[in-house]
Amino acid sequence: MDPLIVTQAINLVYAVSTLAVLALGLAVIFGLLGVLNIAHGEFIMIGAYCAYVTQSGGLPYLAAVPLTLIVCGILGWAVEWIMIRPLYRRPFDTLVATWGLSLLLRKIAEAIFGLGFYSVNIPVHGTVGFLGTEYPIYRLLLIAVSLLIVVGLVIWYGRSRTGSRIRAMVSNPELAQAQGISVRRLAAGAFIVGTCLAGLGGVMIAPLVPVQPFMGLDYVLRAFFVLIVGGLGSVAGLLSGAAVIGGVDSLISATSSATDGYFAVLVLSILFLWLRPRGIVAYS
Amino acid sequence: MSMRKQGPTRRTLLGAAAAGAAFGTLPGLIRPAAAANDFKIGLFIALSGPASLFGPTQRASAELAADEINKAGGIMGRQIKLIPTDAGGPPAETTKSAIRLMLEENVDVFVGSHDSATREALVGTIKGKVPYVYTPVYEGGECAFNTYVTADTPEQQIRPSLSWMMKDKGAKSIYMIGDDYVWPRKCNEQAKKYIAENGGKVTAEEYVPFGAPNKFEEVVTRIKSAKPDAVLITLVGADNVNFNRTFAGFGLDKDIARLSLLLEENTLHGIGADSSKNLYSCMSYYENAPSEAAKKFKAAYIAKFGDKAPQLGRIGADCYEGVYCAHALVTKAGGTDAKKCMAASEGITFPTASGDVTMHGRHVDKTMFLADCNGTEFNIIKTFADIKSGDECKA
Repeated sequence: MDPLIVTQAINLVYAVSTLAVLALGLAVIFGLLGVLNIAHGEFIMIGAYCAYVTQSGGLPYLAAVPLTLIVCGILGWAVEWIMIRPLYRRPFDTLVATWGLSLLLRKIAEAIFGLGFYSVNIPVHGTVGFLGTEYPIYRLLLIAVSLLIVVGLVIWYGRSRTGSRIRAMVSNPELAQAQGISVRRLAAGAFIVGTCLAGLGGVMIAPLVPVQPFMGLDYVLRAFFVLIVGGLGSVAGLLSGAAVIGGVDSLISATSSATDGYFAVLVLSILFLWLRPRGIVAYS
Repeated sequence: MSMRKQGPTRRTLLGAAAAGAAFGTLPGLIRPAAAANDFKIGLFIALSGPASLFGPTQRASAELAADEINKAGGIMGRQIKLIPTDAGGPPAETTKSAIRLMLEENVDVFVGSHDSATREALVGTIKGKVPYVYTPVYEGGECAFNTYVTADTPEQQIRPSLSWMMKDKGAKSIYMIGDDYVWPRKCNEQAKKYIAENGGKVTAEEYVPFGAPNKFEEVVTRIKSAKPDAVLITLVGADNVNFNRTFAGFGLDKDIARLSLLLEENTLHGIGADSSKNLYSCMSYYENAPSEAAKKFKAAYIAKFGDKAPQLGRIGADCYEGVYCAHALVTKAGGTDAKKCMAASEGITFPTASGDVTMHGRHVDKTMFLADCNGTEFNIIKTFADIKSGDECKA
């Protein structure tokens, strides 16, 4: 087959799988807790800075993973405790509060690192022959890791006790509480998992983009589009949203132009909000 | 905060000048209250938005020029007071600020380092009422009344660098990729003329939405399949970084040369050493530009702001020449009268971060540098001396 078509097809798979991972943290927080976390992009940004700090400290790239889990975990815990807990079931208030949080986190990053661009070296260099075309190894690894993370989370959510408790909490918090499930702790845990997943997404994309305080803005919008189109509260929703948004963008960018691709994403999101506000996979 | 008591006390001209000189040595945070006869410069720089990484350098460079001029007596005896104003948001917001600065602050001059879309909006708002100096890198053709351009023009930036790329590096086919707004599109129009002159051809011309969260896998794959000899890049900021990192990630950097038209120190840091092979830039100033003036400028800049001073680069250092241009213009015209300034602009000479320049046709002739990226540093490989702007406006 034509290597051009093969490469563009891999680009599409890459776009969908990275988008799914970048939206995953938001899907957990927004989908399960109903908290519109506008600061989602800033947790991605923090993850990317963790990768930069690890590199400038002379440590291997993978050391950024525990660092990010610690930083985003502590931050997520504090934010949930101080800011989110009093605001559960007040979606608009959480939106305003997390919007303020996003400004604060950007300014803190600016105060520590300045506004300049940083780059994180690609941990695995070069390209590899794949299905008859040369493709960057790191991007292929990203596809694999993204799928692993999503599949792992699906299995854990479906099979584990905590997963079933979370499902109980989401569908009926009062009943779950009455059953002896600590809804408060469970919600805090879900929030922390969400911020940590966002941070991990940041670590993963850090070697591909400029690391800077504003970078989160690029991802939060697309992550919201994914959830709008896919629907909240289910893995199928997340995946179908990522497939539609990432797939359409990549397909049209490949066959026409990036401008048309972005235009299509905006039109699709508007159409979904208008005609099918609960998304492809509506949570019942 | 301020050591001065704020009150209605009037100061003599001498007292204000002495106080201004004394305060000039203090950090930028503590500024003397505006004296009634300050010479006010509305400074349009990026304080917010994606271009705000240039903001600190723009502000510092303008402050350095204002300090030097104030110590030497100011503009016609008046101390310069800079009013840094955000031009990093949508053009419509910046024009609102321009109106406020004209009506409330009665600014004497505007100096602007921002994108061309904002410049076009500002020209339509200021309408020549206040002299307006535009400084960064641009697509040429700005001849609005009472507007003065010190920016690098296509004739200075694109013609020599692209000709070098085609003659010396043997590039025959050029792929154009840019952000979708006025600067990239007009630059590419100019570039097509230079490519035709050198007997080359344009492989493709492609744009991505300006300000959207762009990614470049699809674009780079198309370039790979088109196999051009070189890519002419008119992407700015984060898009420029993303594109170049993706380009090198796909392994295209070995065979295809890249010439970027807005590549300065900050952007190169983002692109990083692993993605900057076979990448070229052409501008009138680099931090390590091989001129005595550039070394002196950098020394003065470090002396004033210390080792942690904002990163120097063309976008930022251009504000230094902007303030000096205003100084030379108003001094020669004997005031800010539009017609007098228009007449006075011809032949004024003023310093820039890389040496003195002279204004002709409200543009400046200048020396340009061609740089090869070596890791995250620029290696100046060629100097194009005294290039005409090619954009001289009629009086």
